[in-house]
Amino acid sequence: MRSFPKKSLLCNKLTVVLISVLVSLFTNVSAQQKITGEIKSQDNLPLEGATITNTTLNIQTISNADGSFSITAMKGNVIVFSFVGYTSQQLTVGDKLVINMTLAESISSLEEVVMLGYSRQKVKEITGSVAIVKPKDLTAVPAGQVEQMLQGRVAGLNVITSGMPGGKSNVRIHGIGNFGDVTPLYIIDGVQGDINNLNPEDIESLQVLKDAGAYSIYGVRGANGVIVVTTKSGKEGKTKISYDFYVERTSPLKGPEVLNPQEQANLTWLASKNSGEVDANGNPNDPYYGNGATPVLPDYLVAGPYTGLFEGDPRVNPDLYNIDFTVGNIYQIIPANKSGTDWFHELFKPAYSQNHTITGSGGNDKNKYLFSLGYLDQQGTLLYTYLKRFTARINTTFAMNDKISFGENLQLSYRDNPQIATQQGPNGNEIDGAISTEPILPVYDIKGNWASLDVNSLGGNPVAERYFAKDNKANYWDVFGDAWTEIYFLKNFTFRSQFGGSMTYHYFYDYSFFGYIPVNNLPNNSFTESSGYQRSYTWTNTVNFSKTFNKVHTLKLLAGTEYISNYNRELGGKRTGYFTNDVNYLFLTNGNPATETNYSFAGISVLSSFISSANYQFKDKYYFSATLRNDGSSVFGPENRYGWFPSVSAAWRLTQENFLQQQSWLTDLKLRGSWGKSGFYGNTDPKNQYTLYGGTAADSYYDIYGISSGSIQQGFRVTRIGEPKTGWQEDVIMNAGIESVLWKGKLRATIDVYKKQSKGLLFPVTLPDILGGATPPNVNVGNVLNKGLDILLGSEGKFSKDWRWNTTITITSYKSKIIKINNLAYFDAPYSEAGIFIARNEVGHPLGAFYGYKVIGFFNDAADVSKSPVQQDAAPGRFKYLDADGNGVINDNDRVFFGNPNPKFTAGINIGFTFKTFDLSAFFYGSFGNDVMNIEKFQRDFFGGPIGAFLTAKSKAALYDSWTPQHQNAKVPIEETSFNFSNVGAPNSYFLENGSYFRNKVLTLGYTFSKRTLQKIKINDLRIYLQAVNLFTITKYTGLDPELSGGSDAFGFDFGNYPNNQKQYLIGLNVNF
Amino acid sequence: MKSFGSLLILIAAIIVIVYACNKKLNQLPQDGLTGQEIANKAGVEGLLIGAYSLLDGEGSTKSDVGSAASNWEYGSICGSEAYTGSIKDDGDVSIERFQSTATDGELESKWATVYDGVQRANEVLRVMKLATDISPDDQKHTTAEARFLRGFYHFEAKKMWNNVPYIDETVTYTSNNYHVANDKDVWLDIENDFRYAADNLSVTPYQNAPGRASKYPAMAFLAKAFMFQNKFTEAKPLLDSIITSNHYHLVNYQDNFNAETKNNAESVFSAQSSVNDHSEGLNGNYGDLYNYPGTGQGPGGCCGFFQPSQYLVNHFKTDAVTGLPDLDHYNDVDVKNDQGIQSSDASFKPYSGTLDPRLDWTVGRRGIPYLDWGNAPGADWIRDQDNGGPYLPKKNIFYQSQVGRFTDVGFWSDNANAINVNLIRYADVLLWAAEAEVEIGSLEKAEEYVNMIRNRAGDPSGWVHSYIDPNDLSKGFSNTPAANYFINPYPDGYFQLHGQAFARKAVYYERMLELAMEGHRFFDLVRWGIADTEINAYIQKEKNLRTYLNGISFKTCNNYFAIPQSQIDLSAGTDGIPLMKQNPCY
Repeated sequence: MRSFPKKSLLCNKLTVVLISVLVSLFTNVSAQQKITGEIKSQDNLPLEGATITNTTLNIQTISNADGSFSITAMKGNVIVFSFVGYTSQQLTVGDKLVINMTLAESISSLEEVVMLGYSRQKVKEITGSVAIVKPKDLTAVPAGQVEQMLQGRVAGLNVITSGMPGGKSNVRIHGIGNFGDVTPLYIIDGVQGDINNLNPEDIESLQVLKDAGAYSIYGVRGANGVIVVTTKSGKEGKTKISYDFYVERTSPLKGPEVLNPQEQANLTWLASKNSGEVDANGNPNDPYYGNGATPVLPDYLVAGPYTGLFEGDPRVNPDLYNIDFTVGNIYQIIPANKSGTDWFHELFKPAYSQNHTITGSGGNDKNKYLFSLGYLDQQGTLLYTYLKRFTARINTTFAMNDKISFGENLQLSYRDNPQIATQQGPNGNEIDGAISTEPILPVYDIKGNWASLDVNSLGGNPVAERYFAKDNKANYWDVFGDAWTEIYFLKNFTFRSQFGGSMTYHYFYDYSFFGYIPVNNLPNNSFTESSGYQRSYTWTNTVNFSKTFNKVHTLKLLAGTEYISNYNRELGGKRTGYFTNDVNYLFLTNGNPATETNYSFAGISVLSSFISSANYQFKDKYYFSATLRNDGSSVFGPENRYGWFPSVSAAWRLTQENFLQQQSWLTDLKLRGSWGKSGFYGNTDPKNQYTLYGGTAADSYYDIYGISSGSIQQGFRVTRIGEPKTGWQEDVIMNAGIESVLWKGKLRATIDVYKKQSKGLLFPVTLPDILGGATPPNVNVGNVLNKGLDILLGSEGKFSKDWRWNTTITITSYKSKIIKINNLAYFDAPYSEAGIFIARNEVGHPLGAFYGYKVIGFFNDAADVSKSPVQQDAAPGRFKYLDADGNGVINDNDRVFFGNPNPKFTAGINIGFTFKTFDLSAFFYGSFGNDVMNIEKFQRDFFGGPIGAFLTAKSKAALYDSWTPQHQNAKVPIEETSFNFSNVGAPNSYFLENGSYFRNKVLTLGYTFSKRTLQKIKINDLRIYLQAVNLFTITKYTGLDPELSGGSDAFGFDFGNYPNNQKQYLIGLNVNF
Repeated sequence: MKSFGSLLILIAAIIVIVYACNKKLNQLPQDGLTGQEIANKAGVEGLLIGAYSLLDGEGSTKSDVGSAASNWEYGSICGSEAYTGSIKDDGDVSIERFQSTATDGELESKWATVYDGVQRANEVLRVMKLATDISPDDQKHTTAEARFLRGFYHFEAKKMWNNVPYIDETVTYTSNNYHVANDKDVWLDIENDFRYAADNLSVTPYQNAPGRASKYPAMAFLAKAFMFQNKFTEAKPLLDSIITSNHYHLVNYQDNFNAETKNNAESVFSAQSSVNDHSEGLNGNYGDLYNYPGTGQGPGGCCGFFQPSQYLVNHFKTDAVTGLPDLDHYNDVDVKNDQGIQSSDASFKPYSGTLDPRLDWTVGRRGIPYLDWGNAPGADWIRDQDNGGPYLPKKNIFYQSQVGRFTDVGFWSDNANAINVNLIRYADVLLWAAEAEVEIGSLEKAEEYVNMIRNRAGDPSGWVHSYIDPNDLSKGFSNTPAANYFINPYPDGYFQLHGQAFARKAVYYERMLELAMEGHRFFDLVRWGIADTEINAYIQKEKNLRTYLNGISFKTCNNYFAIPQSQIDLSAGTDGIPLMKQNPCY
């Protein structure tokens, strides 16, 4: 029996007690007063909308149009005056009740306050490596998801995106730290959340925490780096309404160049002759192209069981046509499309997208609110791919009095986002089909029904496959948010309690149709319906102490606890054999009950933690910071459940030292360094510690009574081997950085170097088959080392009063290396048509390196074959492989690492100009020095397959630039009808291409209307803009798009990738009322 | 001071909460049975069923066509009975060409599935020790059945790879003793498992379940283990007592391959197949799912694999006078076939010479009723005659009248069916007994056993009959034999007259006729020590028909397959030196 004690009630009760104690203790208020005054710029102009914050009482107000303000304060309170673009000022309230403040235009963002781990910090005080992304830069890229918008914006952050609406991106902070999930931890308003449900317009600030000094405080969740997002909140002042909108057109790519039907037939003749597959008359014999000296395109591909027919043949009489099996035998008649079907553009069509966000906000000195509504309809160029997302956000804060405030952030979202299979697997998706379907096959047969050479499945007609998927749905509903209270006590203490979380619910429909059917009453359709929910909550309690001693020593201490609980549950069912294909009829109850399958599963995990940090700063010159977190996770067994995660970091602002203060060119210079530990427990099933038993009808039930059909005897097997000794992955991270501001901000440079040692990576142990077929446990298998360099360069300024420029360059470079894999020398991630294109993860090499035989040329003739090392299937025109060990025989030992999908560096370049009310910006992104494997060549360059089989569309090079005795200096090896070790039957470097590219991601031209014009129509601000996306990509890659995502242990393979380099044009506007 | 006190209370409260919440870190696993929950009578019984469930070769992580219970690739194709079939380069032709290597996925599938079976049997024994509510009687039969299965799965490994490790219930992940060598002969361990089962199981299977092991199946497998070691003196008494028990009888030949008549008196031990059982076809001969006519016409939806060889067909010729096979010259002249002839060409007439009637229950040929699917039309049902020849498999085919009842209606085709895989049928026992008699007993007795088999085959009621009206199948079958069947038993004293060598050859030949396409032939050739001569002779002749057989030859070391390299690598302990050794040849 299950026998753990149920102690959770105690936990819940105590929570209630604690909150009531706190509320009762701190609600009696001491004396307060109003401070008033005016805020002006150095030009003596009133500043409207400046923020005045009483940081002691944590209340905020906004200055009015004339710059005036009023705020509650007590003597000794610290008040901060801040305004975007200006240097913040701070003072301690004395006896004066009127305070006038002049703010200077800021030379940098040093005074900006940002949210880091559990606390706010000024940029200049940060001792860790933190990148701050401006929301404006994010939304400058019209992507559906925030992940895609981050590409190129942060030094040290690699993002590989997908063109599929709603497709996941690979987001990697400081290299690749493990063999599984390397996605960073997203903290949204203090709670772990899903970035893909977030409307980018709702983001107020986004910070990327890149080193241990910044993210160790996230403990066992932090090792992949942390991205902290704060959503917008209301500002004091009158109600504001804003509206953001764009509409966009995406054009499909040109598509691959393929042989036309006659050329394809000619290639069939070439390959057949090369392979000696000819009839007695010396000509190949093909069911479609005949038996002549040259191939002849038929008028009809198929009529019933016959192939390769001509007009006038009685067998193509339309009266014979039948695709209804209830009437008789299937007799489909498919014409030959002699001019060739452009399959790529049958599948990829221009697509239109639109995006709307309405935001309303306002408030007074006590209560503030913001709401927003967003709608995104992003259509993909591939038929029936799209992302529709509705979002609503309500953020409010209330100050009950100057001791207690509370608030909430709430986000509701709905997504409908069916996706196609990603390009990570072989044998593809419909994109693979679009590239490889033979042009002679038309889309429709003579009666306008789908043409397919396989009437049972309609396989081979990618448009039909896509059409049948059009009603599939993937719906997601998500409620995400938090409620918090802050209580100020004993002058310098703040207690904060925040309860937040998410509730995600998804519902999928998956229809599948098997063609025109059926011989022998095959089921012709099936319907799968599945759904599940996921709830998680995070309860965080912290106490903050902050005090400045003797005006030069500032000490901030934080201690707290956090409790995170996750639960998910899923169910699904499937039946086949529905009476009709009408989706309005396809419900589970209507399918054949004998085909019913169903399932459900659940998972639960809990994390309980202690958090603490200490910050000390001296005279804005020396900063020291230390964090310590203890995590206890239910994912691991009792003996390895708890971990300590410390970090220390320090910064020194040299420009505050006397010896540098005279340098007029050097505005600010900061050195910083950090050391710390972080952990990772992802990739690990909460059941990992348990040996479990179970079984399904398919894998362990048995018809022991010989009843043949129906309820057979239930059986069990070991489904999972438990390993209670497994613990978390531990990273030790060292980082050193230098931040400088020169010539009052005309130039900025931030450079970081880091070393990240990841130890005890979590990965399933590979067990010998003699232990049976149970799922092996995750164990701590190995170590990975990442080293890298981040460079951020910025420059801004003005040429004249009307002309301004700003430029940002980010450069990201990392090297990952596998240091150790416990029980294996390597593990392979085979991805291919035949299990042969291999990414191998081996000690001493980077993750996902390409491995196999290196092609050094073709065999020129028989003499060349005989003088070369012995190689299986060696023949003229086939690949000659490198004899790596020089022993004269090509075998397994000659496989080498010939490619690396990791880029040498990636760079983002943003250039912006403003001239009066015009703004022009261009954003470029490039990836350099990465290799990719163009697996599409497997189908396109090699004839393969036997004569008469269903072939794939071939490249021009296959016909015109393949090896023949007369054309030895060829690109493509000899065309043959079969695969063998010396053409594509072994993993080799033929598919390797340089994946470097440089792309103009976005070009934007905007115009902002003058306030005077707008006032007449009661509009505050109005900007309209035109944008071009992916205007050009410079690359040597011959496939569709060199940007190829994948897993952390194998990526950079092109199996039919949804391209992300399609040209888009859009028009948008931002308006404030 | 009041405030300071409040702070202390606050901090204390937080500490208590953290402590209380830490208790929640003990989370029980969802959706799985724990060791505690399964350690009882019903749980152990469930584990035993789970151990049986791999008899059909499917249900383990790596199970696939390579692990099919029928051993169609290894036993039949490697045994010259059939070609891989389908179209060129489809399927694992390297196995047929004896060029499969240590990285062959199908071999790994087989290895992983049989050892999963071993561990499932072991788990029964391990968990039973922890249960307290199982009576000694139940413990006895459960242990015996588990050991029977463990013996069976090891037997499968032994005949495939010869040098294999024996894994008993002490080998577990937790004990960290799973780096094992393959340097010991495991026959004794296999015999011990079957002997224990034979000694402890009753004649009637537990709960009368036909899928369960009982006394005679255990004895039969023990005898089989002895036969594989040429230990005829040990095998014979076991076979004799099975035969004299009168427990088994030969039935109508085709009943052995029909879901309707499975678990009949001839079935000694079978892998049970089932459909429409919510397994999505995976319990319905999934490993043979490609072995149906491959053009979308005829039974099944796919894929034209496992096409009988001309060599096999030629064996079924009988002497028009004696009704006996010609043991020496059977392959000189081919049985006529429709290679290269379109189905629409009505001029083709099937072979008119005398044939053993078992041919047309074993091989689908043009013009002969393909069960109740109509006369096989030849090329229209063959995916690529040039590659795979003119014949179709037949013993694995279901009847049209059984579609939906004995085929899975939810599978993507109706290939998944409920025909059992005969692991041992009584004919098999009789022919072993005949062999044993040839070697150490009486040739008369051997002849008697062989003739039992031939007499059954000679019963005209069990022959393939032509349709009353091939254009209207609903009228059923006539009483006219579908071809010129003519078969006789060996005349009395024929074996004695022609001596031991002839008798041996006749028994070997009869096994081919009787058990063709059932996955035995290759293993028989190996245990007889004649694999290289027989198979090389086959290749020499057949390469003229199947061009992909050109340039290959069978070496004695091909008697056993390559041990999966991954498994050799994983037999290495911390020192990195693999404990398992590869078989010669690879």
